Amino acid sequence: MGVPMVRITLNRVYAVRDHWSLSASGTFNEGVHLVSGDVGSGKSTLALMMAELLPLSGGDIEREEITTSMLSLQFPELHVTALSVAEECASWGVTPDEILDAVGLTGKKEASPLSLSRGELKRLHLACVLAKDYDLLLLDEPFSSLDCEEKVKLCARIGQKSQGICVIFTHEQNILPRVNRIWEIVDGTLVDCGIPPDAFQHWRHVPPVIERLTALGSPPDNISRDDFLEAICRIQG
Amino acid sequence: MQDPRIRIAVAAVLSLAAFISLQGAAAVFLWWLVFTPRLQLVKRIRLVLSLLLMIAFFSLVLELFGGGGLSYFTRMTVIVLIGMWLFSEQKSGEFLSIGVWLFGDRAGFELGMVAEMGMQSLVAVTTDLDRIRMAEKIKGMQWEVRSLVPAGLVLVHGALARAEDTAELLAIRGYQHGGTLCPKFFTRRMDIVAGIFSLCILIFALIPVSEFFILYR
Repeated sequence: MGVPMVRITLNRVYAVRDHWSLSASGTFNEGVHLVSGDVGSGKSTLALMMAELLPLSGGDIEREEITTSMLSLQFPELHVTALSVAEECASWGVTPDEILDAVGLTGKKEASPLSLSRGELKRLHLACVLAKDYDLLLLDEPFSSLDCEEKVKLCARIGQKSQGICVIFTHEQNILPRVNRIWEIVDGTLVDCGIPPDAFQHWRHVPPVIERLTALGSPPDNISRDDFLEAICRIQG
Repeated sequence: MQDPRIRIAVAAVLSLAAFISLQGAAAVFLWWLVFTPRLQLVKRIRLVLSLLLMIAFFSLVLELFGGGGLSYFTRMTVIVLIGMWLFSEQKSGEFLSIGVWLFGDRAGFELGMVAEMGMQSLVAVTTDLDRIRMAEKIKGMQWEVRSLVPAGLVLVHGALARAEDTAELLAIRGYQHGGTLCPKFFTRRMDIVAGIFSLCILIFALIPVSEFFILYR
């Protein structure tokens, strides 16, 4: 008997607001998924619907073998539920010392989480979220407020995840992890672009570096920086 | 209601009528039933329930210690319904247009801009509050009194950060005072009808009905 596969399926899911709508259909299997789209296209709304935190205007979501799920909101302040950094770590069920050392915030245990800069708070929040394994992990704009170095570290951390579904909702174009499938929201509809590198042909939000490498006859295999470097090396022989 | 000038004037007149007397409140409630989307409004604005609970609490205290609690509750509930209608009909830019129309390009523009910022802040705080509650749900926490302090801090922190961003943006753009705007308003016939009815209600609210019935007897 095989290991049960986690899977989340969106069946004609849609959300409607005053003059705006979003519709989504598709299956997210185990692995890392990227959902791209313009600002205001509905990425956060889709993330909230997949996390069952926002009622659907129609359709339904099937969750198979998903027992634990987590959504990281775009703005880390909104997750703050404690008055000190140590208490905030504890509220995520993680040991403060380990996490604070890992994100370079040692000595700020007693500080208010809101006294940290947006970047520091985002680092702390993501470290707390990624400290545990979830069957479904939804990351809404995880790269916002992070500098290049931290974005690279985050990509590496996401790449280490060996189980479950991880969906990244972002409009980041430069520093991304290797992904198993690419999706995008175009004109209020979720579109399945497919598996990289074939997905690049249909991906409207394709990063400029991929377009350039493809034009030079050396498309990358995936969307991480290592893949870009490998494609550049191919050009240079 | 399309014309924001009539809408705001009507809301002020109806709130006054509802506050003056019980018969005024009853007439305003009838106006609310006829001229607004009624229950759709109540569904859309969830703050109403908590507001009504707060009014109910104060009404109960008033009833127990001095009397008149029921009358207070009825009148205030109707005023909340009118406020809810006004808030739901408000569109971005209307306060700016009204400010300029009333007081011109300098003081009017500034007043309108401040009112617009206030409205934007209110919407942002409501959205933040929704997200905070979702974030607590994500952590498996219950919404309780203990959550109020951190949630309040996050809301205040967010509001201050937005205010600072706006101030910086205005300073960077070299804003000093006033501004130019040509306000445009669209008035439908129904707006005028609703406005006339609201004035009739105010007059009705001012009539001492009980004395009229004494004379009749």
